Amino acid sequence: MSFQVMMHELGEGMLKSMGIFSLTLLFALPLGLLVSFGRMSKNRLLKGVVWTYISIMRGTPLMLQLLAVYFGPFYLAGLKLGSNWRFTAIILAFSVNYAAYFAEIYRSGIESMPPGQYEAAQLLGYTKVSTFMRIIFPQVIKRILPAVTNEVITLIKDTSLAFSLAYAEMFTIAKQIAAKETSFMPFLAAAVFYYVFNALIAFLMERIEKAMAYYT
Amino acid sequence: MRKKILVTVMSAMLACSMLGTCAMAGETEAEGTGLAAEGTLVVGFDAEYPPYGYMDDNGDYTGFDLDLAQAVCELEGWTMEAKPIDWDSKDMELNSGSIDCIWNGFTMNGREDDYTFSVPYVNNSQVIVTAEDSGIDSLAALEGKTVGVQADSAALALLSEGGEQADLAGTFGDLTQFADYNTAFAELMAGSLDAVAIDIGVAQYQINGREGYVILDEYLNAEQYAVGVKKGNTVLADIIDKDLAIMLENGSFEEIAAKYADMGIKADMLCLAESLGLDETEAENA
Repeated sequence: MSFQVMMHELGEGMLKSMGIFSLTLLFALPLGLLVSFGRMSKNRLLKGVVWTYISIMRGTPLMLQLLAVYFGPFYLAGLKLGSNWRFTAIILAFSVNYAAYFAEIYRSGIESMPPGQYEAAQLLGYTKVSTFMRIIFPQVIKRILPAVTNEVITLIKDTSLAFSLAYAEMFTIAKQIAAKETSFMPFLAAAVFYYVFNALIAFLMERIEKAMAYYT
Repeated sequence: MRKKILVTVMSAMLACSMLGTCAMAGETEAEGTGLAAEGTLVVGFDAEYPPYGYMDDNGDYTGFDLDLAQAVCELEGWTMEAKPIDWDSKDMELNSGSIDCIWNGFTMNGREDDYTFSVPYVNNSQVIVTAEDSGIDSLAALEGKTVGVQADSAALALLSEGGEQADLAGTFGDLTQFADYNTAFAELMAGSLDAVAIDIGVAQYQINGREGYVILDEYLNAEQYAVGVKKGNTVLADIIDKDLAIMLENGSFEEIAAKYADMGIKADMLCLAESLGLDETEAENA
């Protein structure tokens, strides 16, 4: 296999990895915020349910969760799995898993805000919602960005787990080419792909951090 | 309260979309062909398994078994979908209908209770590969050595408790499982493995691409490859049998095999004629 073909195949695989990556972030970031509200809720039942959910998501391997989400409907309910269910299941499993991690990051940010700010906002006549949206949340984002960057970078590397559901993302392609060529060179190329992508993400997140570094 | 409603709505939406996708896909099996989706044969295979199934120079999936599957699809007017799967998940993929068959140098011996098989088409052997200079020249010389074997493979079943060669495995220093042959050969090269137990066709392919390895003259066993379909799906197995017979008769089976001859599929490994009850001369006359 020529170098160009290899890079082309890996590039196509990278697009698939990036597809998982971007859709997961799209769903997991807002879902994580909702989950963090549940986690901090005064309602004991809701709090307990969300606590259990986070505990399971963090306490079991993502690969196992992928298998459970994809094959679950068949083994538990006897439903036939359609060909479009595969990708849906991958995105669902990744989003629900990452939302649990993001929820705890949001919680750490929200709970770090001094109570004085809420009291001051109340005195100034802010409602609870606008206190959160206009005063608390912008500061929370500033504080949690470095932790979010960590998770985001882990996510792109985790996309290789999608192969447990026969989804041929970039690392799978690299393994297949390596098998065909009886060589380890494709792995080096795969490492470069991951590194360059993650370097871009890290750069972008740093820029965002800088842009939000007002008042400091 | 509002948060609670939001959470409830979100989870309800997730649940609905999940069920919706499954239910839409929940049409019953097509009558008469045994395929999960009418007109498409989804072939599950390990794409790290040359020469039976792998990625070719142009980045397309190819191999002896995939070519055979393609020929069956042409005879039936089906479309073939080559689906590289995680070998460890093959049973779940097959039973849930995500793939229609496993066609990938798939050893039938010892798996008869778990799948419905087509007629066998390749005589395979499990063999031992070592480095030329390792000094290992017989199975007995493997005593105390570290031997590698692919997870969930026929070679592993052979060497595990209850397998034909379990006694031999008892003499090994260690039996290590690995995920793919590329890694195993790297370990062999690096010296962390002394020998690898492997299918002969794959062994020949791997040795062609590398220097300094030999296959021991003593084989672990003799076994056969067949196409595996979901247990009880005789309809699909019968169609594959019928088409293999046609391909043997019109010579296309041998033609496809010849394409892969120098990649490890030797003519004397083919056994389709015998398993269909024809000997070589009859097949040629027909």
